[in-house]
Amino acid sequence: MHIINLFLKYKIHKREKNIKMIGIKSYGVYLPKYLLPRELIGKAWDFPIVPGTRSVAMADEDSLTMSVEAGLDCLIGFDPKSIDGLFFASTTQVYTEKDSASLIATVLDMREDIITADFTDSLKAGTTAVSRAVDTIKANKDIKSILVVAADTRIPEPSTIWEYGFADGAAALLIAEEDTLPLSIDDYYSISANVTGPWKRTDKDKYIRTFEVKMDTKFYFESITKVMSEILKRNNLKPEDISAAAYYYNNPRMHGTVAKMMKFTSGVAQNSVFFQLGDLGTPMPFILLIGALRRPKPEAKIIMTGFGDGADAILMQIQNRDALRSLGKTRMGFTGHQKSMASLKNYNKYLDFKEIFEKDRYIRKSSAVTIWRDTASVYKWYGVKCKNCGSIQYPDMYRSCYVCRVDDQLERVKLALKGTIFTYTLDHLVGGTYSNIPIPRCVIDLDGGGRVLLNMTEIEKPEENVQIGMRVEITFRKEHEGAEFINYYWKCRPERGRL
Amino acid sequence: MRKGIKDKVAIIGCDMTKYGELWDKNQYDLLFEAVQNATKDAGITKDDIDSTWIGIFYYFTGLSGAMVEDILRLDGKPATRVENYCASGMDAFRNASFAVASGAYDIVLACGVEKLMDEGGSGLPGFTQFGHPLYPMPSAPAMFSMAATRSFHEYGWTKEDLARVAVKNHENGAEHPKAHFRSRITIDQAIKAPMIADPLGRFDCCAMSDGAAALILTTPELAESYAHSDDYILVKANAISCRTNFPWYIPPNGPGADFTSFPATVKAAEYAYKEAGVIDPRKEIDCAEVHDCFTITELINCQDLKFCDRGQAAEELKNGTFNWDGETAVNPSGGLKSFGHPIGSTGCRMLTEITKQLQGRAEGRQVPDAKLGLCHNLGGAFSVCSTTILSQRD
Repeated sequence: MHIINLFLKYKIHKREKNIKMIGIKSYGVYLPKYLLPRELIGKAWDFPIVPGTRSVAMADEDSLTMSVEAGLDCLIGFDPKSIDGLFFASTTQVYTEKDSASLIATVLDMREDIITADFTDSLKAGTTAVSRAVDTIKANKDIKSILVVAADTRIPEPSTIWEYGFADGAAALLIAEEDTLPLSIDDYYSISANVTGPWKRTDKDKYIRTFEVKMDTKFYFESITKVMSEILKRNNLKPEDISAAAYYYNNPRMHGTVAKMMKFTSGVAQNSVFFQLGDLGTPMPFILLIGALRRPKPEAKIIMTGFGDGADAILMQIQNRDALRSLGKTRMGFTGHQKSMASLKNYNKYLDFKEIFEKDRYIRKSSAVTIWRDTASVYKWYGVKCKNCGSIQYPDMYRSCYVCRVDDQLERVKLALKGTIFTYTLDHLVGGTYSNIPIPRCVIDLDGGGRVLLNMTEIEKPEENVQIGMRVEITFRKEHEGAEFINYYWKCRPERGRL
Repeated sequence: MRKGIKDKVAIIGCDMTKYGELWDKNQYDLLFEAVQNATKDAGITKDDIDSTWIGIFYYFTGLSGAMVEDILRLDGKPATRVENYCASGMDAFRNASFAVASGAYDIVLACGVEKLMDEGGSGLPGFTQFGHPLYPMPSAPAMFSMAATRSFHEYGWTKEDLARVAVKNHENGAEHPKAHFRSRITIDQAIKAPMIADPLGRFDCCAMSDGAAALILTTPELAESYAHSDDYILVKANAISCRTNFPWYIPPNGPGADFTSFPATVKAAEYAYKEAGVIDPRKEIDCAEVHDCFTITELINCQDLKFCDRGQAAEELKNGTFNWDGETAVNPSGGLKSFGHPIGSTGCRMLTEITKQLQGRAEGRQVPDAKLGLCHNLGGAFSVCSTTILSQRD
């Protein structure tokens, strides 16, 4: 679904219909394991050295897998079956025909009678999806909550200035209507502006293009200050009334200029992201917001702003600091991911992650039919439990128990996303070819039962670092591209702190 | 009720081709040569064969029993292709034995062939095309490596313990004129070889190879009137056991979940020893061809076949128990380590080896005074085990 350009002029809290509070019930973050030091980019191309790092997703990650991770983080403590919709926002959706939201909702084990939609093609897709979630909840009495996930994995053209910026990550916001919420959404305001850059043509461009960076900057300043000024004005607020402003930026200098133009008090404009993570694209306003919620001030007013062919500003207010603190403690969020990141040691590893240097890949056959039939096992991560002997087993493929051999006593159970390695090997001989080796093949005893075989990702020097007894977390990744579609499955990774 | 076929079937002829990277021969040449030599050994002609069971694993080696007709031109006689992983050849023999024991046929051919090297030599072909599209599919060495990792952890075994299996088997294979590899190796060479599936290196893995083997079976009564009337070999037991294709999903309290024992081997051995009346395998079995697709496989199999106690195989090997002149000779031919593993043929090759050992005409190392022998295949992810016990005639 493409962005709908909107110019909306109503305030949510003035509606006639009797609606409870609409706002943010939960949040989640996913940041990939690795950071690319900008120094390595400078060294690779003889560019001036720029400080900081940026986040880099691996070859088996994309916007869809990262959205699953952020969604899992967001839904800790909530029943996925209680949520009525999922919106996915990204400029790096994995298919141009076939949505991502429905697969993300499946993997998150949400119901089927929900609404799903993709918001794509603009970096403000995330804030637009939040606005549309608010509208939908307001307009439809059956829809009480929508999970909005935003992710991007934009690949910059090598040896351009973009390489210092573009970063990978995902975030999720659970938008809901309830009597009280941690954070209320009180108003939003959008402008649509047809700007000339940057762009990426559907069929012809491998990398993002721009006509004139100075022109892009001018549009950015205009849109972003206008949308924030207007939302302040129509709510009779002054810049000093705002405690935190989480607005998209792709350059720290531009960020500072906007703060000055808006006359925000020092510390209000959120800038916690660029130096370490870079320009995260669509999820950036979400992540800036989540960063700002780490130290919630009572009744603080917050603006979250997305930019791209116009801008969206969303005005929020903290309603329940305890609830926010509790969210902070029960999910990996921004800090948990940040703490568990590691720097790449060379630039070539980054090229490998992005498949810019193409290596031989291990291509298997595939079957849409088999994957559909086995959705519960392969996507939703269900096993079975024997009603006779109690043993939990995977996959959900047989009718007779592995242990007690009794027939037809197996019932589906949800499996845990953490476990311990029972045995493993490092496979250099992958499917009769030697490519991308070695692959750690790990037999894992999941917490709470179930033994599975998963390949390991995010592992350096597996010869030294994979061990019996090692704790691992289960993560949704790209497995292979057999039959010319993307075959996703679960892998394990060394513990990062999944809660 | 398991009645078995003890003493109901006799081997009256057998032979095998040279094993190796046989680019100048196809699967038809190989099987023809093995069968022709086996019939000569038995003193019969191909027209004496009433029915055939053939072990073939891969579709590219050949499909169906019609393969046999194309090679041997048996004028419409019955033939069946048997596929049961690495036990395909020995399971063809098992089916052929049942045909004789049932009285359905007088003379039956059990044979196996595989032509792997035409497909290239980078590990078993076709693995990417098998099975489920998403569940991980480890390579064959990776499957067995998971048992090695666990055995190192449980038993304290090391790469050096594995290397001793390779050194012993290559030592034996160096003497065998039909072996694929006839060079001796050192422990150091084995340990330092490139990794295939950690901790298994190149010398821990058997190679790909081409080859064929064939055996002629009849009843002991009829055997009296053929060439080997004085030294035909009796089938004392023949058993297979099938376990899961996916041992990595066995719940921790399920059979085989420990990865330090192969329950298919344990069960097939239990069936075979009971049928043959073997009480103390270590003492009674003089020589054995034991599946050594990987060095770890031989060590664990020796325990599961009760040639020694659990956890003791590495120590027993070091002490010479399994040498060709040791207490229980294991792989006196050189095993899969020396012959490679043309899958469908391997079981029949082992049966040919042990038959000739018991007849005192082994082509490589002759085990002194061998009276009772055992053949053992383990295929898939330790999923299928075939165990046969052979003895000298009464």
